Amino acid sequence: MTNISNIDIPAVDNVQALTIAQRVVLGAWRSYEFRVGFFVFSAMVLLAIFWPMISSIDPLKINIRAKLMPPAFMGEGWSWTHPMGTDQLGRDMLMRSLVGLRYSLLIGLTTVVVMLAVGALVGLLAGYRGGLTDTILMRITDAQLSIPMIILAIAILGVARPTIPAIILVLGLSGWPVYARVMRSVVMAERKREFVRGATILGASDLRIMFLLLLPICLPPIAFVAVLDIARMMIFESVLGFLGLGVQPPTPTFGNIIADGRKYLVNAWWIATVPGIFLFLTLISLNLMGAALERSRNRVHGGEA
Amino acid sequence: MHVGGGFIVFIVNFLIRRLAQGVIIVFLVSFLIFTLLRVIPGDPVRLMAGGMAPDHVIDQIAEDMGLRDPIPVQFVRYMGGVLQGDLGQSFIRPASGAAVGGASFDDNTRSERAEVFDLIADTAPFTLQLALLAMAFALIVALPVGIYGGLRPGKWPDRLALYMGSLFISLPNFWLGIVLALVLSVNLGWLPAIGYQGFAYTILPAIVLAVEIAPFLIRSLTVSVAQNMRENYISVAAIRGIGHRRIVMAHALKNASVPLLNLLGVQFSMLLGGVLVVEFIFDYPGLGLLTINAVLQRDFPLIQGIAIVTSAAFVVINIIVDLVATTIDPRLEY
Repeated sequence: MTNISNIDIPAVDNVQALTIAQRVVLGAWRSYEFRVGFFVFSAMVLLAIFWPMISSIDPLKINIRAKLMPPAFMGEGWSWTHPMGTDQLGRDMLMRSLVGLRYSLLIGLTTVVVMLAVGALVGLLAGYRGGLTDTILMRITDAQLSIPMIILAIAILGVARPTIPAIILVLGLSGWPVYARVMRSVVMAERKREFVRGATILGASDLRIMFLLLLPICLPPIAFVAVLDIARMMIFESVLGFLGLGVQPPTPTFGNIIADGRKYLVNAWWIATVPGIFLFLTLISLNLMGAALERSRNRVHGGEA
Repeated sequence: MHVGGGFIVFIVNFLIRRLAQGVIIVFLVSFLIFTLLRVIPGDPVRLMAGGMAPDHVIDQIAEDMGLRDPIPVQFVRYMGGVLQGDLGQSFIRPASGAAVGGASFDDNTRSERAEVFDLIADTAPFTLQLALLAMAFALIVALPVGIYGGLRPGKWPDRLALYMGSLFISLPNFWLGIVLALVLSVNLGWLPAIGYQGFAYTILPAIVLAVEIAPFLIRSLTVSVAQNMRENYISVAAIRGIGHRRIVMAHALKNASVPLLNLLGVQFSMLLGGVLVVEFIFDYPGLGLLTINAVLQRDFPLIQGIAIVTSAAFVVINIIVDLVATTIDPRLEY
């Protein structure tokens, strides 16, 4: 990372008063993609949180008489009670998709927090300590990078019972190495700078320097890019569900609804398609926001990735 | 880089160092997977022997196979075999083909169990074919979009690259696979989808996989082409009288290909994850399908064998990537 204060910023007075993180968010907000992504994402999150509370429909309630109803305006026999149609057991697709979205968001967000925490800690330690600590930690990181994460995840979840904490832990623990590497390289660059030496001379402990000086500088640029990983983890969660290794039925998740819907693909295309569209909209809004944040961060940090 | 004989020495040193590191990595991976599989609850012998087998039979089989020994003892024995090129035998699959996991425990007709090495060697070519075709598809899309995006930062080609990347990366591979199978295979009848009876069966899975890879290639190309075009040597080249086309093709692209190569090394595991899911959806008889079945059947030796082979492939690919990158850009010293 280059010295922030040396970058030529167009001389606008109030810009200097903002923190780097605020400038990155502000820069992203100016782009069209970010705002579109933000509104779509907020709409999805609000819908996922509040619709299951407001509506009286139970996502698990089976109603054989209303089975395989198509979405509104999409063929014969649809009704406003089930605007997205019903599945093979007459369960409401809209409600099931939204409950699925809840789990997907919950698992995606928590997983990224776990990844970020473990990765940042390992990277911070390796980058700050250097020497033997660095070598050992980085070899472990390399070893883990070379196990395809999804093989690790399905190996563990396939043999153990897939509960929500297990899924979060497995995905989080298999995703941290990339963060550890980036964090390490950033910390190594920062550690040699004046203010760290100054703090050392003033008698600051290693822990103090690591957590109060280095972490607040090094974490935000990495955390912005983590938005992209929320989307990636949501895909992973749905892949696991699809393989039958995610949150178990009858709880609806994107993965297991789509896996179910696959059997009825020819007669009832909407069972697999509707949750897919919800997932896709959420993912693309997250990716648009993430990409805008990343570009803005690169601009603020002087084009450095 | 050094000249003449020095270069050879450099290459040999490089290979020795990286191979040694690679051996350590593969060793760590095997140990990790080996331990995990044995620590996690779930008895594979129960699956092998059939649900109705009495406990003493299960204990007997486990004893015979050495599954009740301490984990380090088992690991040393296993690695001893691996060093001699023996990856062990599948717990479940017979040498002849179909799985027999559910058979009765006293079924004497059960045939010899399959060698893990053979299982992997039989399926790997299919996966390689799928991966190469997918990579080709991804490059066909990513090269023009990415290069154009990099040449016109902030303009519409750049936007196109951004939107296309965001769109592709937001399509969950298994969902896309199902939708494409429905549209292209069931409704239109253009491409065959399920199983494998010839090269045509590779195309649809490869398209799905390509959609998953392409965004990474596009993004890397856009960023590195844009970065290279800002460098001094590009503006100097124009002053030297070199044509624009040649500057882009021979100079900027050549240097932009280094990050692309690195990406290939880093994203190898992602590619493999995609292969897994895609092969599962399309019932494509490759390494991915083998892996998923091995996991679902708790076939420990097979899972271990696959983990070792894939991590070795990862190490080799990364060494090759770094070697090629050094020849493209001699400033890189590994």
